[in-house]
Amino acid sequence: MEEFDQVEILLVEDNPLDAELTMRGLQNQKLANKITWVKDGEEALDYVFRRGAYADRAEPGPRLILLDLKMPRVGGIEVTRAIKGDERTKRIPIVIMTSSKEESDIIDSYNLGANSYIVKPLDFESLAEVARQAGFYWLAINRAPN
Amino acid sequence: MIPLHASIHRKMLVVMLATAAFALLLTAAAMLYYDLRSFRQLWVTDLTAQADIIGFAATPAIEFEDRQAAADYLESLKGKPSIIAAAIYSANGSRFAAYTATGGKAVEFPALPALDGYSVKGNELDLFKRIVSGQEILGTVYIKAQFDMFGRLLKYLGIVGAVMALSLLASLLIARRMQQKVTQPILEIAGVARTVMDKRDFSSRASKTTEDEIGVLVDAFNGMLAEIEHVIDERKRTQSALEDSESRLLELNAELEQRVEARTAQLAAANKDLEGFSYSVSHDLRAPIRAIGGFAVLLGEDHQTELGEEAKRKISIIRSEAARMGQLIDDLLAFSRLGRKALEPSDLDMAEMANNVYVRLDHADPSRTVDFRPGSMPHAWGDRALFEQVWMNLLSNAIKFSAKKKQPVIEIGGISAENEHVYFVRDNGAGFDSRYQAKLFGVFQRLHREEEFPGTGVGLALVHRIVTRHGGRVWADGKPDEGATFHFSLPKEASDGGV
Repeated sequence: MEEFDQVEILLVEDNPLDAELTMRGLQNQKLANKITWVKDGEEALDYVFRRGAYADRAEPGPRLILLDLKMPRVGGIEVTRAIKGDERTKRIPIVIMTSSKEESDIIDSYNLGANSYIVKPLDFESLAEVARQAGFYWLAINRAPN
Repeated sequence: MIPLHASIHRKMLVVMLATAAFALLLTAAAMLYYDLRSFRQLWVTDLTAQADIIGFAATPAIEFEDRQAAADYLESLKGKPSIIAAAIYSANGSRFAAYTATGGKAVEFPALPALDGYSVKGNELDLFKRIVSGQEILGTVYIKAQFDMFGRLLKYLGIVGAVMALSLLASLLIARRMQQKVTQPILEIAGVARTVMDKRDFSSRASKTTEDEIGVLVDAFNGMLAEIEHVIDERKRTQSALEDSESRLLELNAELEQRVEARTAQLAAANKDLEGFSYSVSHDLRAPIRAIGGFAVLLGEDHQTELGEEAKRKISIIRSEAARMGQLIDDLLAFSRLGRKALEPSDLDMAEMANNVYVRLDHADPSRTVDFRPGSMPHAWGDRALFEQVWMNLLSNAIKFSAKKKQPVIEIGGISAENEHVYFVRDNGAGFDSRYQAKLFGVFQRLHREEEFPGTGVGLALVHRIVTRHGGRVWADGKPDEGATFHFSLPKEASDGGV
């Protein structure tokens, strides 16, 4: 498996327009070679744990997860709990990107082990900038264990 | 004297007995007087008759000069112990015969007889009686008798004393009986009066047993009691009515409070619903706005070559309007969050706070030269973050609306009034038409066009909400093109604030 093909960022976002804008922002910055977008928490967990439709996906897993909180079926909080609660996946950085400014959401996220909590800016430029900074920090600056 | 506190029973007894004793004494004295008088009269008559008899019996002895016979006649007086001496005088006045009671003291006989009559000297009586035979005076009989008045008096007093004792005893018994008729009703009234005073029982009545003045008294007393009872009843009724209405008032009050509480709760719930609604609406609006603005950007970027200048201008309008709408939503969110946030009041140095905020705002635009005139201000009691917001909004407004002046002047200050602190922010900027004053503090209300002065119309509404939540007021005055002054007041006492 070429290192080139590794999925670097897993974007979990139920709103396709937000997803497109976020991916566009990240691509514009030439940060990630490969971004995978999943539409909800269940799909995200299938992807991370190689279940269901993603049972055959190539190793290794994503190096960064951008996670929305308010999603149908399985929400971001549950996804965080599942990934951070599993020995195999708990070292993957999770950056919460959400519209929610609720204090309880922020506290829950950090308590479950989320690495950052970002409130989505309203306009595209700011969103793109925030996504870029988050990706840059976790993928380029931060030193992850091998 | 009768003691004052003695019962009427005893007093009457004493009065009655005293009256009886006085009457008895008076009677006894009158009788004694009369008796002694008649006794003496009787005695004198008796002695006169005795002298007559002696004279008559001695007539022959006188006529025959028989002294011995005359003396014998006199000697017969021995049987009368009260006669202590006696004598017979002859017609020429010489003593013919004499007698002296045995054991008696020596008697000095008068030398010559006096005319018929008697004279009393102390308890001794001298009596002269002529002896007449036919028309001729033969001589005179003289009798000296001792008047035993003392013995008589003693005897009499003994009788009177006994009679009086008996009569008084009898009258005591009678008075006892009789006075009960009089005093019993009075005692009864007194008893009732005592009961009334002791037990405060105005329903008791004295029973009427006589038709005399005491009967009248009983009637009057009972009438008075009835009147008092009536008055007391009336008062009790009034009191209970008063208490009733008082408790009713309390009930009503409680009911009213309950209703107010219920309404307040409803209002709070409605308010919360409204806030929740506005929060979720503005929250959900964010994604579409981001999409509109974002895709306008993508359109511009991805189709640069295909788009003419006009298309690019329109895209930029879409982008800026989306941004403005986003700003509106952010402001609305801030406004709605304010309603839900609990106040955390503390002592605030308003002058320092306002200056700091101004410096922050001023640094944001270094090209400006504003004549800033900070004045002194009283401290306030309020939520720090919220009042920083208040100063931020008022000062940024002042900066914004005075920006087009050649020499912008912004003045801030505060004074302490009777019950409240009043703060103000004054500028010499665009001002406003006082006709629209009422609209100043409403949400999304704007008095200037967007091209003139950008803004969402939430700032002053926020100020209004923060200040009123702290129990204060906001008001403003201004004139177009001359400037505006915004005031807000805060109560001096710490206020918990409401919704």
